[in-house]
Order: sequence, then C-alpha cells, then structure tokens
Amino acid sequence: MNLLSSVIKLVAKFNPAAKRWMHSFNGGVFPKYNKSLSASQPIRKQIIPERLILPLQQQVGLTPEVKVQVGDKVKKNQLLAQPSKDPFKALSVPVHAPTSGTIVAIEPVTLPHPSGLQDQAIILEPDGQDESIDNVLGVDGSIPDSPLALKAILLNAGIVGMGGAGFPTYAKIPNQAGKIHTLLINGAECEPFITCDDLLMQTQAGDIIQGALITAEALGAERIICGIESNKPAAIKAMKQAASNTKVEIKVVETVYPMGGQKQLTLELTGVEMPHKAHAVDVGMLMMNVATYAAIYHAVKFGEPLTSRLVTVSGLGLKQPYNMNVMMGTPFSALAREASPKSELNYPLVMGGPMMGFKVANNDVPVIKTTNCILANPPEPVEMQMPCIRCGDCMDACPVNLLPQQMYWHSQAHEFDKVEKLNVFDCIECGCCSYVCPSHIPLVQYYRHAKSEIKEIHAEREAVELAKQRHEFRLARIEREKQEREARLKAKKEAVKKQTSKSSEATADTTKKPASAAAAAAKAAAAKRAAAKTKTSQSEGQETNKVPSARMKAIEAAKQAAQKSAAEKTASQPEESKPKQADTKSAAKQAAMMAAKKRAQAKAQKSEEPTDLTQKTAETDASKKEDARKSAMQAAKAAAKKRAEAAKTKNKETESLSPDAATEKPETDSSGDKRKAAMEAAKAAAKKRAAAKSQNSDKTEEQIKPVDTSAEQTETDTSVDKRKAAMEAARKRAAERKAKQQAEKQDSDEQQENPQ
Amino acid sequence: MNQPTVSSSPYAHNNQNVRKVMLQVQIAAFPALLAHIYLFGFGIVIQWMLALTTALAVEYFMLKLRGRPVLPFITDMSALITITGLVFCIPPDAPWWIVVTGSAFALIFGKHLYGGLGYNPFNPAMLGYAFLLISFPVQMTQWTMPVEFTQHTLDFMQSAQYIFTGHIPDVSLDMYTGATPLNEMRTGLSQGQPITDTLSKDMQTTLGGLNSWAWINLAFLLGGLWMLYSGVISWQYPIGFLGTLAIISFVFNQVDPELYPPMDVVLLTGGTMLAAFFIITDPVTASTTPKGKLIYAAGIAVLVYVIRNWGAFPDGIAFAILLMNIAVPLIDQYTQPRVFGHKR
Ligand code: SF4
Ligand code: SF4
Repeated sequence: MNLLSSVIKLVAKFNPAAKRWMHSFNGGVFPKYNKSLSASQPIRKQIIPERLILPLQQQVGLTPEVKVQVGDKVKKNQLLAQPSKDPFKALSVPVHAPTSGTIVAIEPVTLPHPSGLQDQAIILEPDGQDESIDNVLGVDGSIPDSPLALKAILLNAGIVGMGGAGFPTYAKIPNQAGKIHTLLINGAECEPFITCDDLLMQTQAGDIIQGALITAEALGAERIICGIESNKPAAIKAMKQAASNTKVEIKVVETVYPMGGQKQLTLELTGVEMPHKAHAVDVGMLMMNVATYAAIYHAVKFGEPLTSRLVTVSGLGLKQPYNMNVMMGTPFSALAREASPKSELNYPLVMGGPMMGFKVANNDVPVIKTTNCILANPPEPVEMQMPCIRCGDCMDACPVNLLPQQMYWHSQAHEFDKVEKLNVFDCIECGCCSYVCPSHIPLVQYYRHAKSEIKEIHAEREAVELAKQRHEFRLARIEREKQEREARLKAKKEAVKKQTSKSSEATADTTKKPASAAAAAAKAAAAKRAAAKTKTSQSEGQETNKVPSARMKAIEAAKQAAQKSAAEKTASQPEESKPKQADTKSAAKQAAMMAAKKRAQAKAQKSEEPTDLTQKTAETDASKKEDARKSAMQAAKAAAKKRAEAAKTKNKETESLSPDAATEKPETDSSGDKRKAAMEAAKAAAKKRAAAKSQNSDKTEEQIKPVDTSAEQTETDTSVDKRKAAMEAARKRAAERKAKQQAEKQDSDEQQENPQ
Repeated sequence: MNQPTVSSSPYAHNNQNVRKVMLQVQIAAFPALLAHIYLFGFGIVIQWMLALTTALAVEYFMLKLRGRPVLPFITDMSALITITGLVFCIPPDAPWWIVVTGSAFALIFGKHLYGGLGYNPFNPAMLGYAFLLISFPVQMTQWTMPVEFTQHTLDFMQSAQYIFTGHIPDVSLDMYTGATPLNEMRTGLSQGQPITDTLSKDMQTTLGGLNSWAWINLAFLLGGLWMLYSGVISWQYPIGFLGTLAIISFVFNQVDPELYPPMDVVLLTGGTMLAAFFIITDPVTASTTPKGKLIYAAGIAVLVYVIRNWGAFPDGIAFAILLMNIAVPLIDQYTQPRVFGHKR
C-alpha cells in the first residue's frame, strides 16, 4: 500500500490526474487551495458591530415565533424567537441574542441565500456591555443519558449543521439509542480558502472531541472516527493529542475536493458506500461537522446556545484575511472591511467556498449559523462558453460518477426525463465538472435548473394523475353499477326463460296474424332496439326506476282505458291512429301512452270482462298490431332523430353506431334482442294464458289441447309452421313492448337530458 | 445557445480551455511533421498551408453564414486539428485541388452543417479523407516515394511547382511516386506473392532498420505519448486501438505468415499511429464513457484490420472510424458507469 501510494505520488508529479487513484471515490479535483491566506493568521478578536441582523429563518425548516418586542432590552444568550409548533414534528429552531442590547426593529431583510429573498429578522443594537445570562439552557453539565434528552438540549440551543445546508441537528439524531453505531466527525474542509474548521481543530480540539464523546454516549455509538484532510498538519496534531486516551480515531484523508462531502467522506472513512437515496442514519452512521460538535459540547456542558461561530474572511481581494469568532447577525460588509480590502467592495461577496458557495444579493447580509466563509474574490474575466466537445473531463472529475456531459446535453435540449434517468438527483452540485470543463460550460447551473424543472414537472404530473385517478374511479363506479344492473336483468331473464319453456305451447293460440305486418313490426322494433343500444349507457340507469313508474302509468291509463273501452271499444282505434304528425316527440309520447293503454286494456279486460276475454284479446290484438306498428315506427323515427342529435354531442363510440348503420343492421344483429323480446312476449302470453285458463275454464283448455298434442306428437310441417307463427306473434308482441319501452325511455330521456 | 444568465458556483476553474487542448494536440503532431518533411520532402508543408488557407476561408464564411461570432470560434483551433489530420493522409505531392476540396468538404460537411464544433457525429478529417479516396482514387494512392528510394527529396520550389502545375521541368517524376507499402502488399498478394517477399523487398532500403513509414508512425507515437502524459487524451483510445490491433495481427500472423503481415508491420504502417493518437481521440465523435472509449477504440481496430486484409481499400482507417462513429450513441448508452450509491 505504501509502495503503491509512493509510486502514485511519483506519477502524480507528471500527471496530476494520477492523484485520483489515491482516494476511494471517483474523480475529484485539485483546485488551488489558497488556505494559507487565512490559516496563517491568528484568530482575531471578536468585533461588536453596530447592528446585528438576526434572521428568523436560519436553517432548513419553519420560521420560529418572535418572543420579544421592539424596544426590549435583551442580554446575551436570551431567547428571541422560539418554534411555535412542536419542533419534533415541524423543523424549527430558536434564535438567541448574541450580545446584550436593544431590539430596534423586526423587519424583512435580505437573507444570505442563493435566492436573495427577503424575510423577517430581528435587528439588535448592541450596547457594548456584552452582558450575558449564564447557563440559559439550564443544564447540569452531565451527559444526557438518552438521545431524546440530548435532542432537547440541542433544540433549545438552536444548533444546526454548521458545515453545509444547516439541517437542524436535533432532527438528524434518531430517537432510540443504539441506532447509530458509528459517529463520524467531518474535519475534511475540502473547499479552497476556508480554514475555520482547521483553526477550530487547532484551538478547540478538546471541545470537539468532548462534544463527539457526549453525542456518542447519548446515542450509544461504539465508534467515533474523525477524518481530516492531509493538508492540515497542525489540526491533525492537535486533534490526535486531544483524542489520545479516548475512543476517537483520527484518520488522515487525501486532500482532494470534495472529500468533505458527506457520502464521500463516509466512504473514505468506513468503506461504506451509502446507497442511493439512503441517509447516513439508515446505515447506522451519523456525520457532523467539527464546529457542530464543539457547539454541542458548549450547549451540554455550559448551557450556551449557538450565538457565534468561527468564520473565515478571505479572498484574493483582501489584504489581511483572517478567522474570527463572529456573532451571528454581523453583516458581511463589516467583516470584509476588517480585512482591509484591496479595492472597494463593489462586487458581490461569496458565502461559502468558491466551489459550492453563492454570491450574496447584498453585501450587508448577516452571518448566520451556516456561514463558514466570506469570500471576497474580485470578478475575473469570464471565458466564453464554448460548445461541449465531449472530452469527458467532467465525467472523470465527478465524484458521484455521473455523466455530466450527457446531462448537460439533455438539459440543454430540455429533455428533462432523460436528465432524470441519468440520475441528476444524485448530483451533489459540488462543481467539479464545471471546474474542469475546457469549454467553460456552467454545468452545475444547468443541473440546478434541470432539477427544479423536473420537480415542477413531477408536481404537475402528480396533479394530472390525481385528476385522472378521480376520473377513472368515477368511470369504474359507473361501470360497476352497470354490470350490477345487467346481472340483475340477466337473473330476471333467466327466471322468465324457465317460465317460457313451461308455457311455450300456450303461444299457439295467438296465431293468425299477417306475416308481413309482423315482419314490419319486428323490423321497426329491431331498429328501435338498435337505437336503444346506443342509449343503454344512459338509459339503463333509469330503467330500474322506470319500471315501477311505467307500471303506475299503465295502471292509471288502464283505469281510464277500462272505462273507455267498456263504453266504446272500437271507437278508440281511429282516434289513436290519428297522430301521424311529424312531431316525433309527441308521437313518441303518444305511442307510449297508447302502449300503456293497450297494456292496461288488456289487463282491464282480463280483470273486468272475464267472460268475453278471448274475443276481446282477439280484437285488441288486431288493434294492437296496427298501433304497435305505428307507434314503433314513430318511436323509431324519434329515436333516430335523437340519436342524430346525440351523436353530435356525445362521444365517438355512439357515433360509430350511427343511425344508418343501426337501421341497416338490426335484422342480423338483433337476433339476440329478438329472442329477448320473444321471451318477454312469451311471458306476456303466458300471463294471458294463465288468466284465460283460470277464467275461461275447461272450454279453452280443450280447444288448445288437441293442438298441443298434435304439435308435440307429429312435429311435422304444421308444427313447424305453428311454431313459426308463434314466434312471429311473439316477435310482434315483443316489438309492441319494445315500442312501449322505447317511448317511455324517450320520455324519461327527455327529462334527463337537461340536467345532463 | 440558451445559457442561463445567473452565474453561479463554482467560481473557480482549472484554466483549461478548448483552445489550449487543441493547441496541445497540434504541438504533439510536430515530430511527425518534421519526420515527414525529412522523409518525403516539403510537399506536406505546402499541403498544410493550402489546407490552412482553405480552412480559414471556409470557417469564416460558414460562421458568417450561420450567424455565429467569428473570432472565438475561428480561434478554437478545432479546424486546425481537422486539417492536420487530413493533410497527413494526403500524398504530399498530390495536386493542390485535392487538399483544398478535401479540407473544404471536411469542414463544411463534417462540421458546420451539423451545427459546428461539438455537434458533428462524424470525424471531419476522416469524412474529408473518405470523400477524397472515393472521388479521386488515383491521385490519393500515388504516394511520393520516401527518401530511401529516391536518395533525395524534392525541394520546396519543386514540390510547389509539382503540386500546382502537375509537372516539374527536367525531372522524371516516375522515380518520385509509387505505391505505399500497404498497397504493395495488397498488389503483391493479388499477384500471388506472399507478404514476406514483399516485405523483404522493402527491407532492402531502410533507414536504421526501419522504413520511412515506420519512422513516421514512431514520430506520431512520440507525440501521442506526450499527449497521454499531459492528460490531453484518454488512455483508453490508444490502448484499446493499438492493443486490439496488436492482438489480432499477432494471431493471424501466427496462423499464416504468408498471408497476414506481422504485428510490427501492422502497427507501423499506414496511418495506424496517426489514428491511435490523433484521429480516434477526437472527443466529439468518440464515445465518452470510460468503457465506451475502450470498446470504440477496439471496434475501430477490428474494422481496420478487416478492411486492410479483406476489404477493397489498402488502409481502412477512415472507413473504420466513420463506421464506429455511427455506433457511438449506442456504445455510450450501454456503458454508463455505475453511479455512486446505485446498484448496477
Ligand atoms: S456538480 Fe454534480 S455532476 Fe458535477 S461533478 Fe459534482 S456531482 Fe458530478
Ligand atoms: S468537460 Fe465540458 S466540454 Fe468536456 S465533456 Fe464535459 S461538458 Fe463537455
């Protein structure tokens, strides 16, 4: 291993890329570190600025609630703002006063955030006394015995991750002890220029180690590993000294950017490659920055909240770069002025390092808990962006092993789905790719853009998906209801079939009817049925509740008809056949009425005039035939018209069953319907027969019987003919019935159409 | 280009740029250029200057036509690399219009019509070369004989005269032109002469044990090694290409030395080294994934060998490269590296 590394070092002298073989993750870059600018200087004495700007929102999560008023006198460490909700549910941390003074305002200020947005902040005017409240957290200095106890202290102290995103530290810690087996200390500090962690390790190594030990004790972690980059020998020495006789292991890691990345350092220290999308906690590890450990120590031991931090003020534009333990809320500009800038600070300062930092929108933004460095690099002429030459340098540099050139290509083409497939969300935005790109393409910028685009697309897609699901659910419900209805209908039919088979012989008596009329009626009925098909989806819903109403109608009509028919049986015929107007709607209605009447007549005759029933049925049959045909035709017309209307407005499926096709087809495809109708007719006939049987007694029975027997016995032409005739009769009846139904349906359809 | 306007991190750069990369490639070609002048005369210098003039004119015209800023793109030096690659493939004393049409074709059809640098799927130099080879096969295969045959090379003025007028007064030109060794092997084979005979005939006239072609190839190798060392090109290209070619030629030579030339001859004839370090390393048209680069290079090697030995052209490098250019998107897609934290 040693031989290998020395060989690599030799090679690296000629080809710097060889240094990449020395660490466990892919790529990485070796920028000019410029660390000595500030690291060579001693830590400066704290300055108390004229105003401290304390943004309420200093970290990931919710804004805490202000607990002070303008004009209040506060002391150092006093609580200024506190989470309003249960912080264990919604991320939020309190804000404390960094020094004593007066609250002069609570107003929106520009935040040190890439967006440059404004948010509420407490403005504190220091009085210079720096009076403090000791042990404001009320701790007894003992080590918390459970993760929850530790979490409570960390929350009250307002400690957030001080290395990067500022995730509230308490929220990183699991609730149960023993979940974390390895505690990692991030002392890599891989960004150029920044030296605050370096100096912290040099000066407060003991605090860091103690903080780590406290955390490990509370969490039940067995191992503590600290990784420090090899370019900080003084820090390594101090930390090793402080860690001697403790279980903290100090590991020196290669100096390569981005060694300080959480996943990169974890891999380097433990050999565990954190799985995609997993958090360190999921693999039993917890990594925190050295400054965070020091803050933990101060909170747990002395009850001190997080009100100041070590900040590097450096850059090529400053004559005297330095590190200082800066109060939260100190404006950047005040700190930069302390470093005697070489030229006027008319360019934006950078918060963070040159690789991952961002230009602040306003140089007066305050130091917050995550500010590790203030960088004053005068603007340099930017090289023109050239097209990507696919050289692959970016890919060789990417620590996550992505394909930056491909992601760039697709981002530029706005093919964001492809960018996502290339795992753009694994990109840690370290900037290595942009750093090496010979075409000077701001690659990271493209990925940030792509990420936000993709998120937006996803949000949109989710919304659409939700709407679609709702729609589908509705369709499914309708479909289900339809099927249930059909099932019920089928069951009914089955029952009818049984009956029919029993009384099929009975149909024989309704024989002598002109075939042509029957055929015409059948045709019309078929046409109607075909037409009805297109409507089934809507009308079936009404069918179920239509039946009783139709019956009611029929009963009513029957009463009337009974009276009428009793008085003038024959007169009704011409009257009813009159309405031949083109107004199909009324015709349909009339047809329905007629049909209902007829039915009622039949019933009424059955019940009221039992003696001459046969006669009457014969009569009514004749009239029915005629009426049925007419009404059927009219109904068919109406249906056709309706359909034409409906086809215009309704979907294409109905269109495919357009009137022409429907009227042409029925003979062939309505066989099933015919059977249905025949069955129904048979049922009706059976009913009649039953009535006849019971009321006409032996006479009719005797008349029928011989026919039956002959039909049964011989099964010759006559029987066939008879059967045919029976079928035709059945058909006719079916047609009649259908016409009635159709007419009723149309009525109800009309009623329904408007609300639809 | 729709580039975002807000500039964001990183605010640091390693100060590499396209121009520097291209310049390094150009510098790496110098040893070969010098060797070429020594062995074949000043023809190549004239050709190179002709090509450069053509390139500048074409670049200017095309950039104007495409509405692009002329200065930054004309100085990106990518055209220089293209014509350098092309000029080495053209017979040094070929008529002037050969190189002019070749470079113009390469730049216009190979680069600008696809959207300029970075967007071309085919290697422009090879596209130009293939175009010339198909259009003017006679002129393209009549090579200037190297110095070991002619004992002295044409001087600058003679070359210029020959290139522009097609003849030089008082000089018999037959002596100066002939076929390349690859061509000779091919004709030899077709006349039933085993490779070994052709080669031994060649070997009578050598320069320090190697013929001129080998010297040129070695010069390219030198420049290539320097580029490798300075990180301008990826190691996968030359290793994949030369390695595969070496293995195939070794195996076939063992099978039948009469029919298949030995390994060192394969590696040091024609444009082998030129291709290995200067042509297939053109990143725009090559595969970009680490594994993909190897596959791409190896694929070219196989095709080169196949075309040289069984194809219709004496040196199949141009066609091999163009064919593999087509396969690049596919190779890239199937050789994506494993992303950190992801399972394969
Ligand atoms: S910014 Fe993203 S793509 Fe670029 S090197 Fe870093 S991780 Fe890779
Ligand atoms: S480094 Fe730049 S030019 Fe090279 S492949 Fe990546 S994006 Fe393209």
